[in-house]
Amino acid sequence: MTGKGYILSLVPIGGFFLCWQLFAHFGFINIALFPPPTKIFTELAALFHQEIAGHSVLLTHLIVTLKRLFLAATEGIIVGIVVGTFMGLSQSVYRFFDPIITWVMPIPGIAMAPLFIVWMGFGDPTIITVGAIATFFPIAYNTSTGIRSVDNQLVRAAQIMGANKARVLAQVYLPWAAVYIFTGVKLGLARCWRTVIAVEFIAAANWGLGYMIWDAAEYLSAGVVYGGIILLAAIFTFIEKGLISPFEKMTIEKWGMVRI
Amino acid sequence: MGDGEDLKSLQAKNKVSEIGQFIAPFLVFGLFWEIMVRSGIANVQTLPAPSMILHELYVLIGKKGVLQCHIYHSFYRLALGYVLAVVAGITIGTVLALQKDLRDMFSPVLSLLISVPTIAWIPVLLITMGLGDKTVITAVFLGGVFEITYSTIAGIRSVHQQQINAARIMGVRGLGLFFKVLLPGSLVSIMPALRLSIGYCWRALVGGEMLSAMIKWGVGKMIYDARFWNDVKVMLVGLIVIAFFGVLLDRIMLKRLEHETVEKWGMLVER
Repeated sequence: MTGKGYILSLVPIGGFFLCWQLFAHFGFINIALFPPPTKIFTELAALFHQEIAGHSVLLTHLIVTLKRLFLAATEGIIVGIVVGTFMGLSQSVYRFFDPIITWVMPIPGIAMAPLFIVWMGFGDPTIITVGAIATFFPIAYNTSTGIRSVDNQLVRAAQIMGANKARVLAQVYLPWAAVYIFTGVKLGLARCWRTVIAVEFIAAANWGLGYMIWDAAEYLSAGVVYGGIILLAAIFTFIEKGLISPFEKMTIEKWGMVRI
Repeated sequence: MGDGEDLKSLQAKNKVSEIGQFIAPFLVFGLFWEIMVRSGIANVQTLPAPSMILHELYVLIGKKGVLQCHIYHSFYRLALGYVLAVVAGITIGTVLALQKDLRDMFSPVLSLLISVPTIAWIPVLLITMGLGDKTVITAVFLGGVFEITYSTIAGIRSVHQQQINAARIMGVRGLGLFFKVLLPGSLVSIMPALRLSIGYCWRALVGGEMLSAMIKWGVGKMIYDARFWNDVKVMLVGLIVIAFFGVLLDRIMLKRLEHETVEKWGMLVER
């Protein structure tokens, strides 16, 4: 983007918030439903300074959500890569799992949540399990595609040179499939994030950003709702731009494996 | 023609074995599940057997006749929200693609909006638009519109300037230019987005229906209401319906649409 473009890009966001602030100030819009940006900010700040048992309320919500995200993503990634690898290596395993993935993947996590509430109750177990399931599918699918795309000649060459099964897997299959696995992990993380927030709406007991937003919406405290959503967008942008892209640059881009 | 018949019977056989392979995992899984429940290892209350779920499906469709009504309401919301998203997305996308200054202004807004999960809009909509149909339809709309806008911009920008110039010289202007040159030229990019976004819309629909308290009908609502009675059978029927239509929308409707437009016109580059 050029310099002029960069300045222009600030106009709509700045103008939008300015208009919002002015409209709210002069009473053109209902403050209860559209609190001005300054009020959103002060409400979030109040939540940040409010303390329960010595911990900041906002920070606790945030940490609880991030912990769930981390656990769900880790479980989903590990199981997804393992199942995906077996699917890639064995035709019969692939045939068994492929239809299941095709049919279960389009079910949104929030729709599964009531079922898991019955099985596991409110709180962490349900949220983390549903999040992990949502993460699992794109990763398993992409890993199996990656493993299946490995050139057989490479495998044979490694075998001729005396590599055993574990070595072929670790040094031929997995590096080759790394690009696919990465794509899967990226998709999976986005799904995991969405699902954890959504399931927190209905299955969280007391904590979590999703719970915070939902609770605020039920009590019509619009400031916290808007503030929470801005936080969600900021956190996800940070995860995407600040964690995933550098990692990608350090690994597969450096190895020269990204095909454009 | 002996050969032709052989080929046909071979194709039929392949088809049968394909379907068999497709159903097999579900049969194995279902049978295992059924045995677990019948032998009393799993609790019938929390994990009803597949046969009971099928029976519940039959009861909901045949005896009570409520499932059709849920599905009808869901599809009404989906269709309305999706059509709005397609129209708005393509219109906004076209304008932004053609006007560089506007694009520079609004592309950061777009990338910010696209990173908010659709489900997170629902609390805002519940506050501002109430707990009814309007909220759900808007959620469906928001689920699809950004993706379509994004790919319309990419698609229209990929149309060669020469083609546009050529059309202009021949006197094609305004809407004619849009429908005859820009839209067909950008369909390669728009079609996959239409497919992706109906999936997003479907997801937003289910979430919206579950969270909007004032609506009575809808597949998402059915699942959510079943929660109050811990009625696992109804929940599982709901999940089956959601999965079924999720795949159906993706596969049959939109793949076919893609086949009949982009592929037929020979515009699909080998992927």
